[in-house]
Amino acid sequence: MDSTLPLPWPGDDIGPIVLTEEQIQQRIAELGANISRDYAGKDLLVIGVLKGVFVFIADLLRAMTIPVTVDFLAISRYGPTEQTHGVVNLTKDLDEPLTGRHVLFIEDIIETGFTTHFIMRTLRLRQPESLNVCLLLNRITRRRIIDIEPAYVGFEIPDYYVVGYGLDSKERYRNLPYIAKFEPNKR
Amino acid sequence: MTENGKSPSDIVFAHPSEEEFARILDFYQVPWEYEPTTFELRWDEEGNVLEAFSPDFYLPGQDLYIELTTMEQRLITKKHRKLRRLRELYPDINIKLLNRSDFKQMMFKYGLDDHESLIGQQAGSKGPEKPPDDK
Repeated sequence: MDSTLPLPWPGDDIGPIVLTEEQIQQRIAELGANISRDYAGKDLLVIGVLKGVFVFIADLLRAMTIPVTVDFLAISRYGPTEQTHGVVNLTKDLDEPLTGRHVLFIEDIIETGFTTHFIMRTLRLRQPESLNVCLLLNRITRRRIIDIEPAYVGFEIPDYYVVGYGLDSKERYRNLPYIAKFEPNKR
Repeated sequence: MTENGKSPSDIVFAHPSEEEFARILDFYQVPWEYEPTTFELRWDEEGNVLEAFSPDFYLPGQDLYIELTTMEQRLITKKHRKLRRLRELYPDINIKLLNRSDFKQMMFKYGLDDHESLIGQQAGSKGPEKPPDDK
């Protein structure tokens, strides 16, 4: 396949690139090396929550040089309709047991901290040997309500709404190879 | 849900944005209390309270107070002054101010495109925003 073919973007909503494909891949190589060093000889289970993290987790796993197991979960999201109110729940549970294992929860971006807090609490109840967070984007925002302390952080970014590299706006732009500012009112 | 089991529908909120925020906290199972504490800020010579401040929410799990305001930035000077005074008098209190822009961003994230109805009208028109001197 010709990699020089133009991408079908940027669309009208895509602003400046915040992190290039090269920057992302370089940092992921560093994260993979650090994680491989820290978890050498341990039974490592990497967990991601669908969907935003699937691109990051695929690249991160391939940057690791130790045996690793991966699993995914999915949760309901708060939304505009009565059906999306109520209480968060797992819409896809893990297949792997956690008891006694070293778990690394992979997160794409944290804003309020609500989602990560809920998932960490859920995972902790299953009694892993250890539980840490690896975060791709630490968004510096005043809206952080619940503090999360990731063991690994890819990048710190300003308080931008970003898309690409798995991150979406209404399910679009996940397959951008870079991370860009989302500017819905640009037009 | 509050620690005594109340849900957003059991509480009369001063503003629709507060009710929506309470629903979000409930959704993510973050315990909250609505205006549980009034902090005295100024007194007259006889010790009578002249000014006080009741943050909108308290999250006991985070030991964090949250004040939510949807007033336009230029109108929240008085609220900022109260917050500064609160921090001077009660330095151990953790409090966070979420302003109009923060709330709009949160609503956008949750797909609540009709968030203007939660925020209210622009300043100068009749809107549901609490008067700035309410606490």
